[in-house]
Amino acid sequence: MKTILQAKHVNKTFGTKGNQYTALQNIDLSIEEGEFVGIMGPSGAGKSTLLNIFSTIDTPTSGEITIDGQNIVTMNEEKLSDFRRNKLGFIFQDYNLLDTLTVKENILLPLALSKVPAAEIEKRVEAIADTFGIRQILDKYPYHISGGQKQRAAASRAIVANPSLILADEPTGALDSKSATSLLESLSKLNQGNQATILMVTHDAYAASFCKRVIFINDGRLFRELHKDGLTRKEFFGRILEVLASLGGEHHDAV
Amino acid sequence: MTLFRIAGKNIRKNFTDYFLYFASMIFSIVIYFTFVSLKYDNTIQSASDGSQKISSAFSGAAVVLIVFVAIFIWYSNSFFTRKRKKEVGLYSLLGVRKKQIGRMLFYENFLMGILALIVGISLGSVLSRFFVMILMKVMGYSVVANFSISPAAILNTFLVFMIITLITSVQGYRLIYRFKLIELFKADQEHEKEPKSSVLIALLSVILIGFGYWLALQNLVTSKAWATLGFMLTPLVILITVILGTYLLFNTLTVSLLKLSRKNKKSYWKGLNLIGTSQLLYRMKGNARTLTVIAVLSATTLTAVGTAYSLYYNNRLNAEMANPNSFTFIGVDGKTTAKADQAIGQAPGHKVLYHESVPVLEVDADISGLKQNAGSMEQTYSVIASRDFNRLAKLQGRDDFVSLEGSEAAVLDPAYMEGISPDYVGSTVKLQGKGINEAIRFKALKEYTVLNLGTVYSTIVVGDEMFAALQPKAQTTTIEAYGISRQDKAKELTKQLQSILPEKAELSSFYDQYARGMESSGLLMFMGGFLGLVFLAATGSIIYFKQLTEASSDKARYLILHKIGVKKREIRKSVAKQVLFIFALPLAFGIAHCAVALMALSKLMMTSLVVPVVSCMGIYVCIYLIYYFLTVHAYCKIVTNTK
Repeated sequence: MKTILQAKHVNKTFGTKGNQYTALQNIDLSIEEGEFVGIMGPSGAGKSTLLNIFSTIDTPTSGEITIDGQNIVTMNEEKLSDFRRNKLGFIFQDYNLLDTLTVKENILLPLALSKVPAAEIEKRVEAIADTFGIRQILDKYPYHISGGQKQRAAASRAIVANPSLILADEPTGALDSKSATSLLESLSKLNQGNQATILMVTHDAYAASFCKRVIFINDGRLFRELHKDGLTRKEFFGRILEVLASLGGEHHDAV
Repeated sequence: MTLFRIAGKNIRKNFTDYFLYFASMIFSIVIYFTFVSLKYDNTIQSASDGSQKISSAFSGAAVVLIVFVAIFIWYSNSFFTRKRKKEVGLYSLLGVRKKQIGRMLFYENFLMGILALIVGISLGSVLSRFFVMILMKVMGYSVVANFSISPAAILNTFLVFMIITLITSVQGYRLIYRFKLIELFKADQEHEKEPKSSVLIALLSVILIGFGYWLALQNLVTSKAWATLGFMLTPLVILITVILGTYLLFNTLTVSLLKLSRKNKKSYWKGLNLIGTSQLLYRMKGNARTLTVIAVLSATTLTAVGTAYSLYYNNRLNAEMANPNSFTFIGVDGKTTAKADQAIGQAPGHKVLYHESVPVLEVDADISGLKQNAGSMEQTYSVIASRDFNRLAKLQGRDDFVSLEGSEAAVLDPAYMEGISPDYVGSTVKLQGKGINEAIRFKALKEYTVLNLGTVYSTIVVGDEMFAALQPKAQTTTIEAYGISRQDKAKELTKQLQSILPEKAELSSFYDQYARGMESSGLLMFMGGFLGLVFLAATGSIIYFKQLTEASSDKARYLILHKIGVKKREIRKSVAKQVLFIFALPLAFGIAHCAVALMALSKLMMTSLVVPVVSCMGIYVCIYLIYYFLTVHAYCKIVTNTK
């Protein structure tokens, strides 16, 4: 199976000499095509920093990262933009939809940026809208729809250009449990049906239980890794809670 | 820590935020101060004979400036306070009393006002000296350099801006009382609704502008519309229809067009067109008023400056038209004529290009035969022979001649206006007098003359035989006509001739009219240019402020775009396109309105204004372009600053 993301010895420190803070320390990670990986850890563990680095929005202090065979650490700004556009899809906690565009226009934005012909755009948007069940709100504006609908629209935008890797940052963070479940089921379906590779950062054990593999980080280091393998979602959920408990405190909100 | 000190600290810490507001205040003060010190300046008043005229012109312009400056400061103040709503809300949330916040804002604004006044007046003192030199130059005076700062000007400026500062400071004080806390926090988050457009109103806007243009371009004399509406009302109707049309056009037609362009998916769904078009669409309606103001201001500025410059530019042409010779005078007696001839021949720096003595007859005529003649029935004509006319025309560099036989004649009328002047060609008038009773028929009309208007009556040319027949019976005078080199510098010579020649000689010189024209049109030109520059700077700044406000509220949007992989170069391109739309739209309409106004003016003045007007527009567009590039640069800097 093809390796989509390969990170070797990734370090990230903030601040200047004498007042340094290590956010990430010697992270090694590899993600294969078709995986659905969750990253968990307490606040301040470095989850978001890691995701920002994978998103090419931030750069590591040292280490090597290849995504889909390309080294993203040595790329210049121009190339990074192209790379983000063609290889990555993003789902953010706060949706990041453009409120001057309709849902449909928001979804087709990445395709428009890549200059895909209009007829092709139409076809792909319709297909994706069906996957996420948002066909009836396509012509509405973001401020007219609910949070759950917004997040499904954002997810549609993330995958419409068939990216090599979808990065999700706390996608269920602002959703109620019903909307969250429906979004997670959609992502799961996408992962199984279309072999989409998804990396999701979450602090919610319930959300993480939809993944095939969960990586725990603590104090900037890899702490443990859990595989779902044959387990049911509920069993997997239990395992995740156990690990979280061993990470200690601060996780009352996980249940 | 006292409130006063917090206010002072606020200014120091956020200086970059304050800078724009501060700069626009200083700008206004410098302009106003310069203008008032010109008004109070002795050098200018004593240099001009018509000091009353100059002083009242300056007073009028100063009032226009006050109104304008007040609006401008108020505008930048509201832009500035909008930026700070959140900060004010935060103070209130933290439990600072409303009264205290209000007082703090008041002090802050007041402090800035005083500071701007000091800087503005000091800067203005330096600049006004420079402006005096320019003014003297365009008015054709030699520069006098002992210009001093008048206390009256300082006092005047101080009072005017103190009042403006007080008003804006009170406005700042009231900010916290005017809004609910929640409104202060949500200043930037109000949801923008998609604007509606109506085809009917869009159509109406085009009709209104079209009607205004049509009305403006009518012939004043023959138009039925002007006759029914009246000469006072029609310009007002034109103004209202065009301004209203412009507003409606910006408000709906642009929205309709943008919506239409959205229907074309092939281009709309291409790259950042999606973003640019939708942004414009949302902003258009809110911007309609500003854009209209800018279009109207641009049109006014261009028209005023264009008119003033045209007058200045055409001054030489007008002087030449009325005075085809450098000097003409009637040879009253041989002695003074010889003395004058000698003076002209020996004038240092001038060469005599030609000297002609032209016999001229003074003849009364019954002109009831003229077609379309509304005036009197009788007129005195100066009559010259066709060979004299042909010789003078050639000397004056005209490639034109007349050949007249029998009772044929030609009329010279440099002020001829079709539709208003009599319809000469084909008409017959009767020359009358002692022993004269001659009917002559006008065969030709020349829209220029060969003898200076100040020396002769309306001039007609008759055939040589007719002239010879008339000469013994009519009163004959000899007119001396001179052409000299560098006639626009003949100040000394003109003075000399005026003292030599008696009143009866009716001396008429090119220089005299030229200099008088330079003085009045030079003043107009300077004032037009000065106000024009101020208006231009202000319109540019208004768009600049407006765009930067939008940029800061768009920042989040561009951050999203950056995250999903839009290059900075592409963002820059999209921003440039968007801003261009906002800049070009009012400019295009300003230029169109101005072009129509000046076309009407050009018809009225019967001169071609193309050269002066186009050069004015050229300069205007150039300065406007500088603002455009500055705005694009600042906008991009705000939205692409991702850190």
